[in-house]
Amino acid sequence: MRALVTAVLAVLIAATPAPAFERAGDRKILVFAGRQEVPTIDPSIKYDWSIRMAQQSLYDALVKYVGNPPEIQPWLAEKWESSPDAKTWTFHLVKNAKFHNGDPVTADAVRFSFARTLKLNQGPAWMLSDFLKEDGIKVVSDSTIQFNLTQPYAPFVSFLPWWYVMNPKQAMANEQAGDMGQKWLTTHVAGSGPFKIKRWEQGVLYELEAVDAYWKGWPSKDHIGGIIYKIVRESAAQRAALIRGEADIAEGLSPEDFDQVAKMPGIVVPNFPGMTTFGIKMNTQNGATKDANLRKAVCYAFDYDALVKIYNGNAVLQTSPFPNATRGYAAVPGIYRQDLAKAKEFLAKSAHPNGGIELEYVYVQGLEEERKMGLVLIDNLQKLNITVKMIPLIWPNMVGRAAKVETSPELMAVFTTPVSTDPDAVAYQYHKSSWGKYYGSSFYANDGVWGLIDKARMIAKWEDRAPIYADIQRRIAADAPEIFGMLANRRWGMRDHVKGFVFSPVRLTGEVDLYPLAIVAK
Amino acid sequence: MLFGLLCITFAISHVAPGDPARLAAGPDATASMVEKIRAEYGLDRPFPIQFAQYLQGVLSGDLGRSLRTRETVAADLTRYFPNTFELVTGAMLLAVGLGVPLGILSAVYRDGWVDQLTRVVSVSGIAIPAFWAGLMLQLLLALHLGLLPLGGRLGLMTAPPTPLTHLLYVDALLAGQWRVLGDALAHAVLPTLTLCFPALASIVRVNRAEMLEVLKQDYIVNARAQGVSELTIVARYALKNAMIPTLAMIGLRYGWMLGGTVLVETVFDWPGIGLYAVASAVSSDFQPIMGVTLVIGLNFMLANFLVDLAYGWLDPRVRSSLSA
Repeated sequence: MRALVTAVLAVLIAATPAPAFERAGDRKILVFAGRQEVPTIDPSIKYDWSIRMAQQSLYDALVKYVGNPPEIQPWLAEKWESSPDAKTWTFHLVKNAKFHNGDPVTADAVRFSFARTLKLNQGPAWMLSDFLKEDGIKVVSDSTIQFNLTQPYAPFVSFLPWWYVMNPKQAMANEQAGDMGQKWLTTHVAGSGPFKIKRWEQGVLYELEAVDAYWKGWPSKDHIGGIIYKIVRESAAQRAALIRGEADIAEGLSPEDFDQVAKMPGIVVPNFPGMTTFGIKMNTQNGATKDANLRKAVCYAFDYDALVKIYNGNAVLQTSPFPNATRGYAAVPGIYRQDLAKAKEFLAKSAHPNGGIELEYVYVQGLEEERKMGLVLIDNLQKLNITVKMIPLIWPNMVGRAAKVETSPELMAVFTTPVSTDPDAVAYQYHKSSWGKYYGSSFYANDGVWGLIDKARMIAKWEDRAPIYADIQRRIAADAPEIFGMLANRRWGMRDHVKGFVFSPVRLTGEVDLYPLAIVAK
Repeated sequence: MLFGLLCITFAISHVAPGDPARLAAGPDATASMVEKIRAEYGLDRPFPIQFAQYLQGVLSGDLGRSLRTRETVAADLTRYFPNTFELVTGAMLLAVGLGVPLGILSAVYRDGWVDQLTRVVSVSGIAIPAFWAGLMLQLLLALHLGLLPLGGRLGLMTAPPTPLTHLLYVDALLAGQWRVLGDALAHAVLPTLTLCFPALASIVRVNRAEMLEVLKQDYIVNARAQGVSELTIVARYALKNAMIPTLAMIGLRYGWMLGGTVLVETVFDWPGIGLYAVASAVSSDFQPIMGVTLVIGLNFMLANFLVDLAYGWLDPRVRSSLSA
């Protein structure tokens, strides 16, 4: 039925004229049609792609990820240095940065922001809370701040792009019952970013206005004068809004929709390999997949090319447990590819040499791509006399099942986006500390690998870290805790008057850096 | 009744396998972060204590806080429910306004072309899924002909009036913002039509059947024999009696529609209580689910109460039994 609707829609709207972008006075307003709400913009509380897109527009951080491959660039900090043991990090701030209310961005504001996030212990706090305590943050001068970590931590700076700096005066002036301004900052901003809030209609739309006198300046004279992030929940409506020119950017369309709109005049579809891995995690401690030989048999039986076909060719296969854009990525020689002879060989060595077992495959209900991957599994494992039971679950229930080793399914479809380009962000997903999280649903256990992960993160010199991560990748692959799948390309549908788009794979799925965008009218 | 509803919803919410605290904390949260949220929202307490505290809060007007939106449930409901109320009320007024006359005409001109046409409308209204009808209307009237907006409550560049009653039409009227009112009405056309269609079909069918039944009664035959005009017979004598079952159905339907708009709200991005409920359910955010259940339950009760009052107005026997 939906396919029919889609087809009819496509035919009928093809000839419909597309109006230009919105304007507010002489400001050119970019309309972003997104499916996800922005329930809070408090930088200490939460992040996902839509929240972070808003936070990135409203706040600044000491450093920023830019480009592909992502590079850490100075932002509020013009330079920084670390001690040889990677335990002390000193940042020197730019002198001209100002919050939206005109207050200067000082080292005090940086200290307040980091301390607030650590104290509230939510959102990005997990990234640094094992290494940074409030008393380790030292204001050296108005424009110099020093972080004294409790132990050496080489990836420290790679997480800082997500630690935004808030104006302590504004936050604390709106404090209620000791909440450090949490309630107020849910829908208000105390930042220094390139945009400020104009309208905030929760669950409907969020309008941001460009700060004309942004301290960092603007990369283009045609920069956008504002953004309307409109929530459009239905994929057909998103596509229609894009085609009619009612939206300038749309995210989250199906692979077929992206292919379709890419052929339409006036629309471009940026298409880049992302950092989000798709894997089918196998429970390594419970059920039939506890058997390493059986896991390897499954890995060799799986048709990897089918994954790329599901995305109409817009994906690349994983060649390591680490995404390609991760620093220190090294392709693992002989990574699993479909080889039925090898699959049977490993099955013969397993506790179920003749198959005859049923494995549960749990995936997100309603996510068509994951359902198709399940069908591929059924077909592939049939050849090993293994049946697959497909269990669609809503996301909370999947997370609930993945939380305990006893309930974690034998096979679980998981997309994972690392929050930083440092290899520690990916390697740590295989550490014992990640058990209970959805990406830790394999309950992978290997003391050797854990030791290497713990060791590598404390080494300051990259030359010494890199070989350890190469070893980690090889060892994890050898243990086959998951079917290492693919990296789906990131795509957005964009009207062709939108210029300046800069892709960076470290951003989360639908997230766009709105700062460099411009609208150039034809 | 409401207490029973709360008991069942609370129990179901708590036996679901998802962990709301973990979801609210985010995918990367550490155990201590999850526990902090669990403690903050009282999710670490035993089930009976959580329920007792929830009931205590409800009695004092506190419906709890949403883990997802970080707002109080009362504030969220104040934001979303008026949108659903306006949509459903508009759809029901249209359904009644069209359905009752169509039911009468269909019965009076039984098997004529009006009746045949009405049957097509009523069968289609019941058979066609609302989301599909919505998509088709969107396709034809918004996309192809460009007559109406695609979705949303207001145009992108239209700022809503200051919320006094939280009812957009009323607030726009009070503020004298006619352009906003016009924009809101234009955005309401397609979802209203979509929602109205099944209700219209039910009203037509029930009203037609009841009218046919009443028109066969002896007192109608007698009235005709006495030369009373057909218009008077239908409008004064038959309709009042035929309306009693129709009214009961309208009351139930209205209550049901207030809680069953999620598909239409999704298709048209209508920021109503249905979308809020679904978003809460998929986040295992149980306090908003409880709040929505409470509001829908209250609506049902209120709708039934109003129907009972209307019975009294329509039927003197009910009126006299009530006064006795």
